[in-house]
Amino acid sequence: MQIMNELTRDIDEVALTLRHFIKEKIAGFKKKGAVIGVSGGVDSAVILALCVQELGAENVFGLLLPEKESAPSSTVLGEEICKSLGVEYEEVSISPILEALDIYNKKDHIIKRTCPEYDPNIHETALVLPDFLKTGAVNVPYLKLFKNGEEIAQHRLKASDYLEIIGLQGVKQRSRMIVQYMYAEKKNYIVCGATNKTELALGQLVKYGDGGVDIEPMADCYKTQVYALAKYLNVNEEIIKRAPSADTWSHYTSDQDFYWRMPIEIMDQLLYGKDHKLSLEMIEKNTGLARETIENALKHIERVEAATEYIRTAPPTCFINR
Amino acid sequence: MENIKTSIVNYLKDNSFMDKNTELEDSDSLTQSGIIDSIGLLELLDYISEKYSIEIPEDMLIPENLDSLHGLTNMITSLTK
Repeated sequence: MQIMNELTRDIDEVALTLRHFIKEKIAGFKKKGAVIGVSGGVDSAVILALCVQELGAENVFGLLLPEKESAPSSTVLGEEICKSLGVEYEEVSISPILEALDIYNKKDHIIKRTCPEYDPNIHETALVLPDFLKTGAVNVPYLKLFKNGEEIAQHRLKASDYLEIIGLQGVKQRSRMIVQYMYAEKKNYIVCGATNKTELALGQLVKYGDGGVDIEPMADCYKTQVYALAKYLNVNEEIIKRAPSADTWSHYTSDQDFYWRMPIEIMDQLLYGKDHKLSLEMIEKNTGLARETIENALKHIERVEAATEYIRTAPPTCFINR
Repeated sequence: MENIKTSIVNYLKDNSFMDKNTELEDSDSLTQSGIIDSIGLLELLDYISEKYSIEIPEDMLIPENLDSLHGLTNMITSLTK
């Protein structure tokens, strides 16, 4: 069995299933269309294309929601895909919300006390985790400083600073959620999410941020399947080739550098192997990794899944009237 | 060595990572037994770095050194020599 073949097969049927799901859920909620946050990345591009195919461009609204630290290419590519699909869109900067909450200054203070050499006028910053396959290291976050694109320093973040910075960064996705609902309610649309199965498993979403949506059509599609869908739907090659990123740091930080800690084709094959209870021998043949590395990586994934359960869980109810 | 172990166990108990009556074997996995998660591990690293005035190099941040009392004790001992 070739896992990558399994992940990319029958993609036309997958697209059709997702389209039907979108239509059925919107009808069920008695809404008229979908608002989509368009990031310039492959996930939102695929969702946008599926929604347009199923609902018609006139019932889809795109929102470009950049902020001071977003890569300019995110807006350019987001705008391009909206235009190419004939989708009405608007650009709303979320920087004023972040400035009102003093997010940038608070973030700078943490960076400064972690990296004494930090100068916000000179350096770009990124939050990264060590590459798992190369180092086998546990999830220890580092702040990296870059000057003219070159890495010049890295410092380990203290637990309290890491927690604070995650909270500050989460305001970006949560601000986007607020803006999306402002438009969705005005239009009587739903907010359609673009989280995929790989992200969901690894807790790679912000609760009530990018996870704050009405439907998640792709939450059972591995990232590899999203790429296959993107090709099938003729998504702009530049979007497909672009390194996926939450795009919340001034130095463009890929998901591989923070969330996956290994190439996506390896991560997805490991996740698929784990989800489908494949033998170590089968995973070994598919990934080319040593058995010990696979065992360690699977343990690592299980730890991440357990630690991020809170993110995926809806507020539990204490039932007293049953 | 025994002091290091006691100090880590006391830290874990004092900071609600584990019950006061829980017994921990030297080789027990701190993550798999549910005592610490990734944030708990960062807090433990901060505690160790401060208490023993050590910087833990990146190449030592591996489960073999951090996921058990045995690993932690050996790592701290080697870094404080």
